[in-house]
Amino acid sequence: MNAVLTLDGLCKSFGGIVVADHITLELERGQILGLIGPNGAGKTSLFNLISGVVPPDAGDIRLNGVSILARPPYQRARMGIARTWQQMRLFRTMTVLENMVVAPREYAAESILNLVFKPGAVRRADEIACEQAMRILERMHLSQCADSLVTDIPFGQQKLVGLARALMNDGPCLLLDEPMAGVEGQAYDTMKAVVRQEAAAGRAVCVVEHNISFIKDLCTSAVFMSFGAILEQGSVADLLASKSLAELYFGP
Amino acid sequence: MDYLYSILILVGIYVVLASSFNLIIGNAGLVSIAHPIFFALGAYTAGLTAIHFGLHAIVATLAGAVVAALFSLMMSLPSLRVSGDYLMITSIGFQLGLLQVIKNVEFTGSQGGLSNIPTPVTGPYRGLVYSVVSLAIAAAVVWMIRWIVRGPYGRAITAMRDDELAFLALGRDAMRIKIVIFAVGCGLAGIAGGLYAFYYQYVSPEQFEILASAAMLTMVVVGGMGSTLGPVVGAVLLIALPQAITFLELPPGIMAPLQGMLFTLLVIVFMFIRPQGLISPEGPTPLPGHRHGNRSGPR
Amino acid sequence: MFMFDAVVLAQILWTGLATSSYMVLFTIAFALVLKVVKLWNFAQAGLMAIAFYAMFAAVNQFQWPTVVAVAFGLLVTLAASLAFEIYGLRTLRARRTSSLMFFIFTLVCSEFAAYALTFIFGTEPAPLFAQIVSPVRILAGIAVSDWDLLAVAVTLVLTIGLALYLRLAREGQFMVAVADNADLAELYGINAKRAFGAAFAIASVFICAGMYLYGARTAVIPTTSLQLMLFAVIATLLGGMGNVFGAAFAAVALSLVQSYSVLVIPSRWQGLIVYAFLFITILFFPRGVNTSGWATRLRVRRAPAS
Repeated sequence: MNAVLTLDGLCKSFGGIVVADHITLELERGQILGLIGPNGAGKTSLFNLISGVVPPDAGDIRLNGVSILARPPYQRARMGIARTWQQMRLFRTMTVLENMVVAPREYAAESILNLVFKPGAVRRADEIACEQAMRILERMHLSQCADSLVTDIPFGQQKLVGLARALMNDGPCLLLDEPMAGVEGQAYDTMKAVVRQEAAAGRAVCVVEHNISFIKDLCTSAVFMSFGAILEQGSVADLLASKSLAELYFGP
Repeated sequence: MDYLYSILILVGIYVVLASSFNLIIGNAGLVSIAHPIFFALGAYTAGLTAIHFGLHAIVATLAGAVVAALFSLMMSLPSLRVSGDYLMITSIGFQLGLLQVIKNVEFTGSQGGLSNIPTPVTGPYRGLVYSVVSLAIAAAVVWMIRWIVRGPYGRAITAMRDDELAFLALGRDAMRIKIVIFAVGCGLAGIAGGLYAFYYQYVSPEQFEILASAAMLTMVVVGGMGSTLGPVVGAVLLIALPQAITFLELPPGIMAPLQGMLFTLLVIVFMFIRPQGLISPEGPTPLPGHRHGNRSGPR
Repeated sequence: MFMFDAVVLAQILWTGLATSSYMVLFTIAFALVLKVVKLWNFAQAGLMAIAFYAMFAAVNQFQWPTVVAVAFGLLVTLAASLAFEIYGLRTLRARRTSSLMFFIFTLVCSEFAAYALTFIFGTEPAPLFAQIVSPVRILAGIAVSDWDLLAVAVTLVLTIGLALYLRLAREGQFMVAVADNADLAELYGINAKRAFGAAFAIASVFICAGMYLYGARTAVIPTTSLQLMLFAVIATLLGGMGNVFGAAFAAVALSLVQSYSVLVIPSRWQGLIVYAFLFITILFFPRGVNTSGWATRLRVRRAPAS
């Protein structure tokens, strides 16, 4: 079975508003799934449910067949669910490189016991993480800002850093929340190329996007959400051709 | 001369208290008001173990630190499970509640306090020895905290403070870090307690009232939250200020509240005029082979 | 297991209810500010102390009649709380200050007030009036004092008044809207700042009333209000944050437990019950006990959804 991530009947409502209505979905290796729909459809909420930020009211989430429902967010990340955020959420008082170095699945210096009793191992882990980070930054043409504070680089590059940081997690699942919003030119092309590379390497990628050309270009299939429910799934071409969806999205 | 020694010893104790409190609220960003009670736990444990089990001062002080750290777990484990706000409420309850227990229980000496704590050092050089010990411990604590905060662990703490949600989503166990930092900070307060108990040989509940937290907040907020030397500056300030007003020769009934008003007013003024305190925080050391960006201080 | 006399139990119930009055008032004040302003207002202890000592000075130093003294106390408390909101909180809010700094600010304000009042009035415990015993009558074997009746009456009037205000008055409904979602309310033209000010004003009324009742019966020192406030905090937690009347109910329940506990434990430990409840709450009911129950039905109708 190629399904990396399985959502099984996920339900969630906040004070009367349904953000997830029996969502059943599968994400497979090498797939780039586009998640589209009007604002407030529950797309980001779905990511929050998957990454564990919000607990569902009902349903199950399985990573490689194993239920992760009981796992807190940090464990889900360590198991291989990486994500970016709509608001980026970069660490604003730190440099680009520092943002990346705290991002791998395992961080030796997280435990004070390691810090005290295994300083050598901690130093080595730091070096390895540094090298990995620099490789990713090079892929994304960002090496020159490695030592800049994230608040000192332009917006487009900040978004690239958000993606780069998520890539430090080499797990099977990558969730991208509106990665293209506000990005254009070189950064746009770089991002597209990187996402393609990741999927080609076997990752299961899910992208929330409003940018239709990005979806058409990159996604192998798509899901249309509205009011917390999946209205249609299928190939991108089919979804975009559907008149009812166009009405929902753009209005009558 | 004795007077000078007692000042130096107090400086040492206050530096340990301020630095450890700063670690908790300035570095880890945990909201807790219960630092005085951990100071008390250390002092009482050290005193009681010395009196009843004849433990040597050093061992008794370490016992005080361990007890304080264990009690901190009682506080942090249940409340951090929910949210940081709960730690705040739990800390108030802990501070007030445990103090009530101490005041009402016989083996702590209740309201009258614990006296006749045996001291390992007697004789004419007592003041000198204690000053050296106190300042040495203070220096060691400051250095230790600096080492924690400036290394890769400190990088994790800074990231946690900047955006905890993103931090969690990267795979970092933020709660564990908070619990550990809290335990370390409270344990260090316990050491300050041991120092206190063995110098003054008398421990009473009044020194650990919630109003003592005003003094600690002054030291940290005015000195500079999150910086290494800020608490040191704050501690010296807190010792120097009362000395400045003793010249007014006011009766103690007036002196104490006047000092308190001064401290709290200082905190308020600084919060509005210079929230980063006297000394700005430094942040972790750069990665090997790289340098910092232009670090401009906290948000 | 020994049998308790029914009259004794009834007496404890009545006295407990009467004593819970000021706790209910303090709790409502705290819970309302938390609900509307979204602030754990630890400065309330300072406001409570200011309320008491203002009335104390009015009665004992200026020799004013009680009604004037209470009015004076109310004015002073209002001034203090509004100054706190307008000059303190608004500035911090505009700077997007962290919750840690807000916490420190509110607590330090209480501490400053405690120190300032100690400076002015000393640490000698003092009740509001020289005479703290009020006339008692026996009804059905139960001692009912004038103070008891006043306490229950004042509390009922203020509490019901607040409930009606939040439900029926336009300003009250605006306050609820701001409590639900301040940004959304602003989009509808509701002034959030005014709602915050109103919340503090109402809290001041409750605080003043509570301190009057408390001070009429017990001697007070500048740090007394901190202990009283902690009770209000715990009741707020138990009642579920955002649930003002649930908190009030919790305050009554907690107070009664404390009153009845005297039958089972030595009185010097009575004060610790509150702390025990704090830990039980944090361990087992962090979201509050009253998530559904009669207290929620008393809750105000929400502002219309978008």
